Amino acid sequence: MPETAGQTFIHTPTPGLPEFDYIKPASLTAASQFLAEHAGEARPFMGGTDVFVRMRDGFWTEKYIVNVKGLDGMNDVTFDPTTGLTIGASVNMNRLIASLEVKEHYPLLAEAAHTVASYQLRTRATLVGNICNASPAGDTIGACMVLDGTLHIHGVDGMRKEPLSTFFVGPGQTVLKPGDIATAITFPIPPAGYAAKYIKLGRNAIGDLAIVGVTALGFPDRGAPSGYRVRLALASVAPIPLVPTQAEAILAEKPITEATINEAAQAAMDASTPIDDVRGSARYRKLMVKNLTRRAVTQVWEQIRE
Amino acid sequence: MVSKEMASVKIPDLIGKSVPRLDARDKVTGAARFADDLQFGPGLLYARIKRSPFPHAIIKSIDISKAQALPGVKAVVTGKDFPGFIGLYLLDRHIFCRDRVRYVGDPVAGVAAVSEEIAEKAVELIQVDYEVLEPVLDPEFGASPDAPLVHPDLSEYEVVPFILPRAGTNISNHFKIRKGDADGVWNSGQCAAVVERKYRVPHVQHVPIEPHVAIAQVNEGGTVTLWGSSQSPFAQRNLIAKTLGISQSDMRVIAPYVGGGFGSKAGVSMEALAVAIAMKTKGRPVKLRLTREEEFYTVFVRQGLVAYFKMGCDENGRLLAMENKFYWDGGAYTEYGVNMTRAAGYSSSGPYEVPHVKTDSYCVYTNHPVSGPMRGFGMPEMHAGLEQCIDDLAEAIGIDPAEFRKINCLKTDSILVTGSKMHATGLPQCVQEVIRAIDWGRKEPPSAPHKRRGKGIALMWKAPAMPPNAGSSAWVELNEDATVTLGVGGQEIGQGTFTAMAQMAAAALGVPYDWVRVAAPVDTQYSPYEWQTVASRLTWSMGNAVVNAARDARRQVIELVAEAWDEDPEDLDIVAGEVISYKSEESISLKDIVVYGLPKPNDSGWMGGPVVGRGTFMPTYVTGLDPETGQGERAVVHYTTGAQAVEVEVDMQTGAVEVLRAVAAFDVGKAINPELVKSQMEGGFVQGLSTALFESLQLKDGVLQNPSFVDYRIATSSDAPADIHAIIVEVPQDDGPWGARGIGEHSMVPTIPAIANAIYDAIGVRPGPPPFTAEKVYLAMLDAAIAE
Repeated sequence: MPETAGQTFIHTPTPGLPEFDYIKPASLTAASQFLAEHAGEARPFMGGTDVFVRMRDGFWTEKYIVNVKGLDGMNDVTFDPTTGLTIGASVNMNRLIASLEVKEHYPLLAEAAHTVASYQLRTRATLVGNICNASPAGDTIGACMVLDGTLHIHGVDGMRKEPLSTFFVGPGQTVLKPGDIATAITFPIPPAGYAAKYIKLGRNAIGDLAIVGVTALGFPDRGAPSGYRVRLALASVAPIPLVPTQAEAILAEKPITEATINEAAQAAMDASTPIDDVRGSARYRKLMVKNLTRRAVTQVWEQIRE
Repeated sequence: MVSKEMASVKIPDLIGKSVPRLDARDKVTGAARFADDLQFGPGLLYARIKRSPFPHAIIKSIDISKAQALPGVKAVVTGKDFPGFIGLYLLDRHIFCRDRVRYVGDPVAGVAAVSEEIAEKAVELIQVDYEVLEPVLDPEFGASPDAPLVHPDLSEYEVVPFILPRAGTNISNHFKIRKGDADGVWNSGQCAAVVERKYRVPHVQHVPIEPHVAIAQVNEGGTVTLWGSSQSPFAQRNLIAKTLGISQSDMRVIAPYVGGGFGSKAGVSMEALAVAIAMKTKGRPVKLRLTREEEFYTVFVRQGLVAYFKMGCDENGRLLAMENKFYWDGGAYTEYGVNMTRAAGYSSSGPYEVPHVKTDSYCVYTNHPVSGPMRGFGMPEMHAGLEQCIDDLAEAIGIDPAEFRKINCLKTDSILVTGSKMHATGLPQCVQEVIRAIDWGRKEPPSAPHKRRGKGIALMWKAPAMPPNAGSSAWVELNEDATVTLGVGGQEIGQGTFTAMAQMAAAALGVPYDWVRVAAPVDTQYSPYEWQTVASRLTWSMGNAVVNAARDARRQVIELVAEAWDEDPEDLDIVAGEVISYKSEESISLKDIVVYGLPKPNDSGWMGGPVVGRGTFMPTYVTGLDPETGQGERAVVHYTTGAQAVEVEVDMQTGAVEVLRAVAAFDVGKAINPELVKSQMEGGFVQGLSTALFESLQLKDGVLQNPSFVDYRIATSSDAPADIHAIIVEVPQDDGPWGARGIGEHSMVPTIPAIANAIYDAIGVRPGPPPFTAEKVYLAMLDAAIAE
């Protein structure tokens, strides 16, 4: 039997990176144009924490790696008390975590970023890269979603905005087209009186991918029958970062009690469609969605009530 | 050998002092050189290996023509080129597979090329046609008559006398204990309580931070030099030379600093591949470095184990009998692993005095990765079940598990499972110490309402597992300024052995510690012989050789000065680098005498000269064991014993287990460097914790599902308790240097069961085999209807 017929063939990564051309365009326009002209064989890169690993492992085989760091203000963190926060695409996570504005107004971003990999990797890893990588396990994606983040995209037709709610298509897949470069993410001023929490369940204390991640952000809202709204996002339990809308609706509609929180947690569990893999079983993941949603919502609720 | 009087002589100040490590500065500043740092110039070739994608298959044909034709390829070798067998205790391996592959990753062909990339391309061009065979994936099944044979030629393999393969089976060693009459005890109904349990322990990996690296060069005359990350330069010299049919003196191994070994760099694993390939590229060095993935599935892993325990005690909790059956998952080759199953056999009672013991320890071939030595050498796996079973038996008879251990643990002169007497041991003190330090019996409130707390204890024992006559040697040479160059053949693998050896040499000679330099790297051409850096044997065995060498140098100096001063050598001493006379109160600095000697009176000539001390050590008293009963006069050199206790907290909503604090007490005989001893206790505990909570090679049909750190999780400092309280107990070893015995491996032996017992104490459920992942614990709690 030739080995290619073997069902048990093991993937053996090569010791080094495959050959590629490194492109450093002078402007966003040039970058978008190059990426569009080489669709399928060029990839933009920021910190490279996913790009180089996936290339070394043989999963990505692009001929061109296009460095888009440092183009047109992509390395800035700015905060405006009326319009909110802008984080440039090449701002690394350690800078994000250290930013005083982030700490004061968006501590959830820092909390979520802090659970990504290790300090060393966070000197390269970026928030926008974490989003564009579109892993269902992405630790910061939930925070960006509940904080109502909007991606700013430069494409061959110029700048446009993409809301995160419709950004993800499948594991590793987004609505981005060849030539698109995410330049920044912006966040509006968070709702008054809000509190938020990211609970990550990993196999060990630090550095792991999430078996399950639950992000919750709650705030008082007179327009909601319960007087509150709670935004939720779930990691690693569906092909894309999942918003359990039914659970959110329950928390908006019914007076928030332990029973309501349990009902919402159950709804979150019912909405999730995890798979079995080496990190955990689907069964355990579903059970953890329930328990950790309950825990996250309870903690948020305790902070926002009265 | 350092004689028994050692225990009674005054212990020098330097012994028991936590001097700074010799290698710390170089390692912290990055100056220390490791194998991959060595430079070989533009002539260096790079090797890559063609490996089996199947766990079990016959090689029908190999076509290397395309690979050979690729520009930049300098050599392609296969098993055809190297007919010899290789192995430490049982010669069951070829360097490259010849007719059959036995695990996913088994080397089939090797390539040397001008770059790693070209070598990798050439590997892809090698075409191998296989006939796939049914794999053996479970050791218990593997030991049954229904299993396909992994090594049909087992009966023809060369083997050392104390390993007993069973021809026509997959059992490459069957070690038996028949002490007393266990069957009689069961039949007589003497036991007030009997517990029977089955445990499973998965394969884990050593995961040294530095992957295996080997560089080999063969010159035109056929002499071989191998540079590598190695725990065993001399064993590698011996085994590779024998396989290639060359003289040991024509094989030279140079071993720079090692970035972690834990057993994975003992014996021979991938080093022979580099040497074999270099045989075909004479004159040009060939480097082979493993990727992290290869590190996981192609070099040694720890043996898996399926263990059955049956234990009984009387109404006072006194152990009466044990009946144990171990099926070791030895993987594809058990050349080294066979001796682990023997060690587990002769230690199968655990650290307890049990009058009647029946044990069958089987080493079983499977089509899993090659199982080899790993920190603890079978003991962590065996104790994992044994020490949980002891807890269950204590519960069955209604005695506190710590109290039960006090009653039954080995004391000095206890009769051991092999029939001989236990030497002086501090195990009872170790048990007392951990009970005290963990506040045994006091239940602390949990840190949150959804958490529960528990405490667990486990004991251990372990002997250096090695041939009865594993030897050590050392030399001590004095330089012009009376600094000392110490030659040893044991390897610094992070444990601090060079520091401990320098301390011992300085103490035995009578010079300050910082006068001693260790001649490194270990080089078999210049360094004195050492069997291997394994078995936690260096402090004891190499230490004895070093002390003997230093004393030999000291004797030479003192005899010289005695002659010069016309005094009795008995009145002279060397203190802080000065020779002094207690009688005449004369003194002279070593600087003035150790290279050029001393002038005779009246310009009549010179006496003395360069001082070089030599020392050796080899145990001479280890006897064989009866193959049918496992009984004998002295099975091993000694046992290091100890205990650990932990406090854990279990999250009832996730199953996550947090170890809040740990205490460890080990009887190390004499701590040469207490800080280094404590470091071993801490490091061993963390590695044990890692195997208890996180680590497992997830094999599916023989294929590893998690061959990288993404999915093979190991403990980080955040997973370890902030408080690991290490307690040193010192009951001297009669033949250890100042009473010292080893501690390197022992520190992780009792950790899995200590944590398992603490989890049980917290939640009343045993979550099954390690690792006790959050998922496993949660689902077990769900089954028991206690999960939230």
